[in-house]
Parts: sequence; C-alpha cells; structure tokens
Amino acid sequence: MAPSGRALPGWALAALLWLLGGPAARADDYQLGHGLDLGPFNLAGYSNLVGNLPDQGARSLVLDDLSLFVSGHVAGWLNPFMEAELTGATLARSGAGPSDGDLVLERLYDDAYLTDDLTLRLGKMLAPVGEWNQIHAAPLVLTTVRPAVTYRNFSEYVTGASLLFSDPQSALPDLQLYWQPGGELSERPATITVHQYADVAGAQVSLPLGLLDRVGVSFQSSRDVRGVRQSLFGLDAHYTVGPLTLAAEGTFSDVSSSGTRLARDAEWGAYVSAAYALDEEWSLYGWYEGFADRTRSSVAADLLLGAGYHLHPASVIKLEYLQNVGGQPVNPTGLFASWSVLF
Amino acid sequence: MTGWRIAAAVLLALLLPAAARAEELLIIANPSVAVDGPLSDEQIAAIYLLKTTLWPDGRHIVPVNREASSEIRARFTGAVLKEDRASLAAYWNEMHFKGQRPPVVQESEQAMLAFVQNVPGAIGYVSASLAPGNVKVLAHVP
Repeated sequence: MAPSGRALPGWALAALLWLLGGPAARADDYQLGHGLDLGPFNLAGYSNLVGNLPDQGARSLVLDDLSLFVSGHVAGWLNPFMEAELTGATLARSGAGPSDGDLVLERLYDDAYLTDDLTLRLGKMLAPVGEWNQIHAAPLVLTTVRPAVTYRNFSEYVTGASLLFSDPQSALPDLQLYWQPGGELSERPATITVHQYADVAGAQVSLPLGLLDRVGVSFQSSRDVRGVRQSLFGLDAHYTVGPLTLAAEGTFSDVSSSGTRLARDAEWGAYVSAAYALDEEWSLYGWYEGFADRTRSSVAADLLLGAGYHLHPASVIKLEYLQNVGGQPVNPTGLFASWSVLF
Repeated sequence: MTGWRIAAAVLLALLLPAAARAEELLIIANPSVAVDGPLSDEQIAAIYLLKTTLWPDGRHIVPVNREASSEIRARFTGAVLKEDRASLAAYWNEMHFKGQRPPVVQESEQAMLAFVQNVPGAIGYVSASLAPGNVKVLAHVP
C-alpha cells in the first residue's frame, strides 16, 4: 500500500487502532453492522469488492473501498468522528498487474450538541447535496455503479463549519448550513476525484416523509482549483410504497470560468431509480440517468438494471448491467458486480 | 351448569388483568437517568430512532434493543416504533454511517436488565412479568 503524498499516514491509523484497542477499552458483544463498542467509542467500517467487466477496456477486480470509521460520544460538546479509507486497490486487472490504491481521509470532525435539535459540526465532513453523497457507503446505496449526478457536479466534501437542525419529532424540516473557507483538508488526489474545490458554501433543507422517505432541496456555491465558479441547485426525493422504492436526484450548476475552456456554461443531470423488494433478501433495481458534463457537448444517457441479494441487513451482493444509450459515456457500458459489508 | 359458567366467567375476569399486565412492556432506564415523569411513545421512538441523543442533564442516551428474532422486540417495534424490520435495519445502518451509534443489542431479558442497571444513560425494555429492580420505569407499553 503506497499512500499518496496528501493522504493520511498509515501509522496514524495504526496508532489510533492501537489506542482504541488497548486494555482499558471495553468491548461489548459485536453485531455485524453495529461496529465494535470500545468505551465511549465505536469502531466500524465497510468494505466493497467490485468486479468490473466493461464491454470495452480492461476488466478488473478492485477493492473499491476499505473504510474504517470511529465515532465517539464523550460529552455534549465532544463527539468526534473520523473516517479513513483505502480506495481503488486493484487486486487483478487484465493486461496489467495489481495496484495499491490510495489511503484518504474522508471525514474528521467534532459535533457539539448545542441543544436537542441543533448541532455545530467543525472539521471535514460530507457535503449535504442530495441523498447519495451522504450515505455513499456501498452497503447502503442502491447500485455498484454510482450515477454521475451524485458526485460530479459539486464538492462532495466540506472542511469548515456547519450548523445542523433536526427536529426530534420530525415535524419540521431538517436544515444544514455549511461553509468552507479555502481548500479541503487532506485533499483527495486528482487521480481519484473529478474536480477539486475551494471556498464552498451551501445549505440543504430536507423534509422527512417517513423513516427513510424524504424530499430535499440543496444549494451550493463553490470554486474549483482551476478558477471555475459554480452555483448549484439540487432536488432529491426518496419514497417507498410497499415493496417499491422510488428515488431521484437532480442538480443544475451554473458554471463560469475566467480562463478554462468549457463545452457548456451549465452542468446538469438527473437520475430516477426504482427498486422492488421480492422479499427481505432479494431485490430488483434499475435507474436511468442523463448527465450533461461541463467538458462535453453531448448529454450522456445511461440505463442500468440489476439484482441484489442481502446476505444480512449489513451485507449485500449486487449484479448489474449498465448500457450507455446516448451521448459520450460517463460510466462505461458493461457488467458490474460487488459484494459489500458494513461491519 | 349455569353455576359453572358464572364461576368460569368470574375466574376469567379475575385472571385477565393479571395476564394483560404480564404482556405489558416496561420501558426501563438506568437509575442515574435524570427523568422521572412518564415518556410518551413519541419520545421513546425519538430515542430509538437516534433523533434524541441526550438526557436533560446532558448525558448521552444509550438505547438498548433485543436481538432481531426476539418476540419482545417485535412487540416493542410494533407498538412504539411502528416500522417494519427491514426499514429499521436500513435506517440504523444509515445513521451508523452518519456517526450515530445504533441501539446496543442484548440477547435476553436478564442481559437487557443487567445492561440497563449498570450502564449510565441506558434505556431498554423488558416484560412487566420480570418485575425489575434497581431501574427507573419510564413508561408502560400495553
């Protein structure tokens, strides 16, 4: 494993594990998906093993994510959270050897509970744009292949301050405001991210319709490191009717650059998905997406169909086929499979 | 014959309330929890859905659940949380990824009781027939 220059050092992760696993720590009975309780801390993570069989290009077996996250509940003002992950470690690849992947810092923040419904978060966190980005762990999301609109059109991370309002009775909409002055803490290397952002600010309002159902509106203003400024407006929805779950996300960004040549002055896209639970283990799913990338004149259109099998509520196997049906592809046409575990 | 029927009816009337009490669930909390009044179903649900995370004195709430196959958990889920098992599992997985610890699982009534008795901030549920000691009873769930 060869960490990139800006990635979290491996020794830091090992030291943290050692500290948490010391003799003073108390481990309760372990439950898959619930993590390991060590005193006021909980050690958890997820893995995602992906088989990529695109119609064109190299076939590969990739440890797409091996994530470790630690959450602590020490006091009302001290609730630290840290997530580091190994991403993109290629175990086998047609025509080439394995590669090490990157070790990156996903999240590092503290939550201070100001009141029962108001939290101040300081540090590096996931940006609340749509739903997928906030629950992007493979065992939690619908498909192996991620729709482009859930990550390509905005800053996925915020390093700075955020204020979160959540009504315990869910009678009022959830609200999150956030602000990042300057660049991202431990910025993800350019090899694994589409755009690198700075000076990010935004808000999300989310109206709960049920336990998992919601309608959300997102705004985000940002500047990428090449000087492109953008203002995003997004909508998302998640709705369940019996065994059928419908979800959708759409974003529209007004992009303006002073020096960088772009193919269009607005980047936009949307996907609509449907999943049907045959029982508690098997499900069928699919999505359709259109995405107009800022650097491409054509609008990519993709259709995906697949099936999932839950070995456990915290472990799922997915098999799916994606077909590009228009425009220059963002995601390749082909067969994809994954096995993910939340542990 | 009529006398036997009357006697049977009287006996049934006497036994039914006791049986109902035995079926009742008690919401119990660690004695250190600074709440005395009864909690509503909505307040209990907000705790188990990780929306209310602190007791009024600022201590963290530690909700405790029974194992997924438990009959008493099914009763609690149906009466208080009013959600299906798969949806709750997905919800707690999401909340865990967002940094909220899902309810701790204890696999027997005795283990649940011992956990709540010993862990500050803990809240759980047991059958009323257990007659628990050294805990606060915060609510009765019929």
